[in-house]
Amino acid sequence: MKTTLAALKKGQKAIITGFNIDAIPLKLLEMGCLPGNEVQLLQVAPFGDPIYIDVNDSHVAIRKETAAAIDVELLNDTSE
Amino acid sequence: MDIQSIIAYILVAAAAAFLVKKFFFKKKKKKGCGEGDCGCH
Amino acid sequence: MAEHLKIALIGNPNTGKTSVFNQLTGLNQQVGNYPGITVERKTGSCKLPGNIKGDIIDLPGTYSLNASSIDENVVIELLLNKTDKDYPDVVVVVTDVENLKRNLLLFTQIKDLEIPTILAINMSDRMEKKGITLDIPYLESQLNTKIGLISSRKGSGIDRLKGLIVNYKELSTEPCLHASSIEPEYFDRLRKAFPNELLYKLWLLITQDANFGLSHTNELMGTASFTKTRSDLKRLQQKETIKRYQFINDVLKTGQAIDTSKAKGLRAKLDRVLTHKVFGYLIFVGILMLIFQSIFSWSSIPMDLIDEGFAWLSVYTQENMAPGKLTDLIAQGIVPGIGGVVIFIPQIAFLFLFISLLEESGYMSRVVFLMDRIMKRFGLSGKSVVPLISGTACAIPAIMAARNIENWRERLITILVTPFTTCSARLPVYTILISLIIPEKTVGGIFNLQGITLMALYLLGFLGAIVSAWILNKILDNKHKSFFVAEMPNYKLPLIKNVGLNVLEKTKAFIYGAGKIILALSIIIWFLGSHGPGENFENAESIVRGQQEKIIPEEHMEDAIASYQLENSYIGIMGKAIEPVIRPLGYDWKIGIAIVSSFAAREVFVGTLATIYNIGSSGENEATIKQRMEAEVDPASGEKVFNFATGISLLLFYAFAMQCISTLAITKKETNSWKWPLIQLFGMSTFAYLVSLIAYQLLK
Repeated sequence: MKTTLAALKKGQKAIITGFNIDAIPLKLLEMGCLPGNEVQLLQVAPFGDPIYIDVNDSHVAIRKETAAAIDVELLNDTSE
Repeated sequence: MDIQSIIAYILVAAAAAFLVKKFFFKKKKKKGCGEGDCGCH
Repeated sequence: MAEHLKIALIGNPNTGKTSVFNQLTGLNQQVGNYPGITVERKTGSCKLPGNIKGDIIDLPGTYSLNASSIDENVVIELLLNKTDKDYPDVVVVVTDVENLKRNLLLFTQIKDLEIPTILAINMSDRMEKKGITLDIPYLESQLNTKIGLISSRKGSGIDRLKGLIVNYKELSTEPCLHASSIEPEYFDRLRKAFPNELLYKLWLLITQDANFGLSHTNELMGTASFTKTRSDLKRLQQKETIKRYQFINDVLKTGQAIDTSKAKGLRAKLDRVLTHKVFGYLIFVGILMLIFQSIFSWSSIPMDLIDEGFAWLSVYTQENMAPGKLTDLIAQGIVPGIGGVVIFIPQIAFLFLFISLLEESGYMSRVVFLMDRIMKRFGLSGKSVVPLISGTACAIPAIMAARNIENWRERLITILVTPFTTCSARLPVYTILISLIIPEKTVGGIFNLQGITLMALYLLGFLGAIVSAWILNKILDNKHKSFFVAEMPNYKLPLIKNVGLNVLEKTKAFIYGAGKIILALSIIIWFLGSHGPGENFENAESIVRGQQEKIIPEEHMEDAIASYQLENSYIGIMGKAIEPVIRPLGYDWKIGIAIVSSFAAREVFVGTLATIYNIGSSGENEATIKQRMEAEVDPASGEKVFNFATGISLLLFYAFAMQCISTLAITKKETNSWKWPLIQLFGMSTFAYLVSLIAYQLLK
């Protein structure tokens, strides 16, 4: 199922399929947030922002609006 | 003035000079890409 | 004679780079500033085999040469400028064995600058636990480098690393990735235009905004044929990143093996609690209270000792040196001045002990995660909470603590608003004023009016901080869009050595930085308080005796003389001169003098009043001062000076005025300019003045 990183539920895993390059900092790409890599949503702060993800073995916190610019394909995994 | 007073006033003058130097010297520092948000994204 | 080898340590944050630096240099390190900016410049020296001395520079942690902050800019500015005095002979890239994939990105970039580069893989002690095995010879050949497998925690592999450093000439400078593969046609043109420069270096110059002061920059920027839009550049950088990762993935597929059955759990388990919606915050509040307690009460014992020690030293000097101006200067100006600096050490040490523990353990990043959303509204960072809370004990260590805020703007706002929080030095002033003007009544059975007033003042402090942060956030330029990407590193046990060195370094920074200014100001203030123009001051003793001989008993004569002297000293004159300005606030010239004096340290307010009211030497007794203040009557109106209106006005003035030279000194040091402390001084003083004015006029 295609969706964005922002729409993931806690514990869900997905594969990154693409993103809006102007809305994402280069740094995030350099941390490994690239198409083809697996990403998992670990935690969500109160009010939904920021969110805490695991990508490329890096644990990173990013804003929800940044996450909304990343397209992912859900992996059929159990979520919490 | 006795020697004590002389030394004392020299120290006071030195303190004043030190502060003045610190105050004005910093203002002339050239701005490399640094001080504050220079927009170096 | 020993040669000097220049070594640069580079790496991602959280790779233990600092530990490696500490292992190599021990106590032989210095921290300074890069000229013009507030990034720390950390250097040190170490002994290498063959009697060679190594000059090591520990560069700020960065994920890539594509800089996104001032710190990271420092790295790229150095590596692109061969004429810089710090330009390294050899670079050691420190990586974490658990995060090799990401860490190698930076490594390949540096390799492409064709500088001799050693790969240090740190935290080797964790390899077995995490099921990681590495084929070192394979990695060395694929990456064209020499690898030092080290554990900075255990101290192993360091000697071998030193050996590799010394033999740096044997390292290959073959790049990992040929930059031209990013967009062949573009790079071909570049190569033709600048045949003598490294392609990758040119690429970095084009994509970065950093100030290099190099000859080619203008040519490159000016030539239309080489400029591209921001968007295009970013696309190419993305391409470069992808290519690099492809290379890295290929190398690691063969060179690294991970047994994924080994537990990955601790970080996830801890985070489940520490970043939890409810428990996360509760735990954080608990930790904050602990920090506050430590600065507030634990440091009070050493502080009292220091206080007494210097007071004793002052008296001792006065009594044992030949009487004269120098003796006075030393006993009343220099000794208290130095004492005024030293007394901050316990608080600074405790605060940084905690902050180091939080940073080293990895917990600090979780704090950012928890607090960021709320703080960003006010232009602050998640990390601003620690300075703000610490400010309720003392603003000096609090302002220093803002150093770990990476974003300059957020750090600046934090530094500027922290002094609004009620610091402990204001307490003596608050207590005495409250006891004078607020009745000792209890409302509703449990609410003590005096206690409530005190709490209200604390609250006012916080509000002042938050509101001014909000205002500053609107006013200050926000030139660039800030993207928020914060790594949540693995939790680890803090290394005592790192924590200790950090506390030592911060303390030294304070003493040498702010300390010098505070000492100089103390000397000046002594001068102004113990000298006066004209005969009144010179002949104080004879005048007072002449006038008051009959009235005042001998034991109070000294106090009377001291009081007269103070009135007629330069400070006294200043205090009297501002009387017209402070009259509307309900203050008389005696209060005026006390306000001017308390510029040195706020708690001096009460002591100065004691001197003016002729209580001088017995002034330490709070009851005495209180009685005296209560009795003080304005000769013109016949009314009490410390009435309700004046009292409230004074309380408000103290809540908001920027009056502590130590704070100004540390703000100057941390922001590297006088502009901000001056703005603070005028801004806050004006605000305090207006508020007190309105309060007095409304209440009188």
